[in-house]
Amino acid sequence: MMKGELYRRPILFAIVATLAVLVGSIVTAIYPIFTEQMHPKLEALKPFTALQLAGRDIYQREGCVNCHTQTVRPLKTEVQRYGEYSKAGEFAYDHPFLWGSKRTGPDLARIGGKYPDAWHYRHFEDPASFFAESNMPAYAWLKDERLVPSSVEAHMKALSFPYKNEEIAALSVKSELDALVSYMQVIGTSVAKRPVAATTHVEVAEESHLQNPFAGDAQAIASGKMIYADNCAVCHDDDAEGDIGPDLTDDVFLYAEGDLPDNDYFEIINNGTTAGIVEEGRRAKGGMPAYKDVLSKDAIWSVIAYIRSLQEKK
Amino acid sequence: MNDYQYDNLTVKGFITSSIFWGVVGILAGIWISIQMWSPSLNVPPYFTFGRLRVVHTNILAFGLVLGSLMGTFYYITMRLTRRPLLLPKLARLTLYLFNAAIALATVTLLLGMTQSLEYAELEWPLDVGVVILWVLFSVNILGTVIKRKEEQMYISLWYIIATLITIAVIYIINNLSIPAGLFKSYHLFAGVNSANIEWWYGHNAVGSELTMAVLAIFYYFLPKSTGMPIYSHRLSIIAFWSLVFTYLWTGAHHLVYTPLPDWIQTLGIAFTVFLIAPSWGSVVNGFYTVGADWSKMRTHYLTKFFILGITFYGLQTVQGPTQGLRVVSQLIHYTDWVPGHVHMGTMGWDALVIVAAIYYIIPQIYKTEIYSIKIANTHFYLVLIGQLIFSVTMWFTGIQQGAMWKALNPDGTLKYTFMETLVKNYPFWKMRTLGGIIFTVGMLFFIYNIYMTIRRGKELIASGAQEVA
Amino acid sequence: MVNEYDNLEEFEAEETKNKLPAGWLILFWGLILWGIYYYAAYSPAVSGWTQEKAYEETLKK
Repeated sequence: MMKGELYRRPILFAIVATLAVLVGSIVTAIYPIFTEQMHPKLEALKPFTALQLAGRDIYQREGCVNCHTQTVRPLKTEVQRYGEYSKAGEFAYDHPFLWGSKRTGPDLARIGGKYPDAWHYRHFEDPASFFAESNMPAYAWLKDERLVPSSVEAHMKALSFPYKNEEIAALSVKSELDALVSYMQVIGTSVAKRPVAATTHVEVAEESHLQNPFAGDAQAIASGKMIYADNCAVCHDDDAEGDIGPDLTDDVFLYAEGDLPDNDYFEIINNGTTAGIVEEGRRAKGGMPAYKDVLSKDAIWSVIAYIRSLQEKK
Repeated sequence: MNDYQYDNLTVKGFITSSIFWGVVGILAGIWISIQMWSPSLNVPPYFTFGRLRVVHTNILAFGLVLGSLMGTFYYITMRLTRRPLLLPKLARLTLYLFNAAIALATVTLLLGMTQSLEYAELEWPLDVGVVILWVLFSVNILGTVIKRKEEQMYISLWYIIATLITIAVIYIINNLSIPAGLFKSYHLFAGVNSANIEWWYGHNAVGSELTMAVLAIFYYFLPKSTGMPIYSHRLSIIAFWSLVFTYLWTGAHHLVYTPLPDWIQTLGIAFTVFLIAPSWGSVVNGFYTVGADWSKMRTHYLTKFFILGITFYGLQTVQGPTQGLRVVSQLIHYTDWVPGHVHMGTMGWDALVIVAAIYYIIPQIYKTEIYSIKIANTHFYLVLIGQLIFSVTMWFTGIQQGAMWKALNPDGTLKYTFMETLVKNYPFWKMRTLGGIIFTVGMLFFIYNIYMTIRRGKELIASGAQEVA
Repeated sequence: MVNEYDNLEEFEAEETKNKLPAGWLILFWGLILWGIYYYAAYSPAVSGWTQEKAYEETLKK
């Protein structure tokens, strides 16, 4: 009934089937390993430090990759939401890759440097205190787990990452949460932040020393208050007197006495800060995220009007 | 007249073990589905979503599906080759090794020992064990086929051989790693390579275990249980070779818009879309087979399991390639659409065909009839409804998420914060849990039915009405 | 008890005379042609398309 010699000779059949399976495997998976385009490395990329690797191990152990991706696709809205799209050369030390396949939580490819350490500590300890409706489990228990320096050292050796003995010794006083936060802060930092010019409204603010069009406007202050509660209160506290981020009601701005005009407020909220940038002769420490893609121009001016109204009350 | 002629004890052992692991995996699934909308159900350190999710996927993929496949492969091979297994004692050993491996997998995953590679999470000592298990299993099956008493190899044997080879190749290569301790290792490949190798594996683990292997079962049990011969042998041949050849090119569709070189992505998408043809070769073959007499859908209770199963396979293999297209991937990748897709395949196609095979095998082994066709029908409708609720709600919420992530205000700023897009999922995630519970209740009907069939079979044997099988 | 063997005749009654369904054949060859087109259209080496260029295009809009 069934014709064909092949179906009467199992060994021959198995050989032919193996060949059939191998063709696609070799072309798409094996051959690329030996090509240069699959081994790029950005100049700014460094191997993980012992503390960062320990943090990455914990990221793996806790299965963070099940809910968070670490790759930004080259799509307009995605770059707006998360930052510069991912480059192949960023991942040369990623054994294994942790790009993930599901965003139950947000992408983390550009999380490094976005928030100050204190933000991460508090968020890991109790995500719901930041976002009441968050479904992320709390990881407060990592605070009480100590790192084991000898095993971190073994991991560094296995990956041939350079380290100093003092670096390993210093781990003994670190908690697993310290390590995890340290890993968070290095993710995606080898890629330069896209120049601010990519946005439109900052140019307006820079070129003409604009006054806030909503200054003193009661309606804008009311809406600014809502926007503040949703976006800013997490770090600057409900009364804006500072917590993770600085006090917004005092006379200090960027760590120096003396307030600055509205357009500087606009720039900081719009673009965020990175450590070391200089604004009106004042040096930022970094940690303020950019809101240019989250808040409209009017929304930012409304928040500033609201902050000014708080300052006046003092 | 030899008790051992057909090694039914091993087959039965695999089936009952796989049902046990199935219960564990499904309960883990319900648990994590609730954690999605009620984070207080995370119990650190062992029972957080991040750890339980891999228990769910691994125990179902390897405990339930692989276990029942190994059992049915032994069963099918003996009957198609007209001889007992070449090494029956070795077959029994694989049963013990299998259970030890799944038990250790459960424990180590809860302990957080993971390679972080999807469907290849198990750490290196377990990988070594799994490879040994697979080699012993393959040697036994291939040896039996080589020493067969029936000259021709039927279609199911082709798919079985292809499954053995594919799993061996992809599992070994993707699990190459740098050990850094007894239960810690790092993927040998880094970055883009790591991603490319992992998804070449990941997609073909699905392609072999959840597709080729289940087709082997389908092609055997459909004609066997309904008495209807397969429609076209030629179609079977073309579908087989084109499927086996094509699958291995398609892994990159999981990496669309990542930094993986464009040509690999494009090649992956092109082959993925072509995969509709071989997949539908089997769908058409299945439909035309039963098409010779559609009244079997009513008169023979197992027919509808196979036909609905192959229908979901058909939908799955159109939906999957569609998702691979760049324009669709943009919208639904990383959203809940994807779990909706996966569960139509696993709960719709794989589970229906596998339980139908078990419904057929258990009464055969015990020389009796199924305990209750009525219960089997109830089981069928419950798992069908459960699966549809699951898949459909996830497609809705996936599209909604994708659209909200992309939405812009007129001034070009993003319309929604991430939290705003997340909370929209909650009602759908609750519905999904409901679907999962309905599916589970259906499976309990199945387990009860199988349990009662075995009990009746044992009583018959005890009363001397039947010889020991 | 006699062990029941499988009779392959049950599975495929005779050398099936059934022709391949025309619709399926069209699908089979159609998808191969489409695959060739798609590969050519979206391969940097053939058409010059890259996902980076496509991204830059969307920024201009």
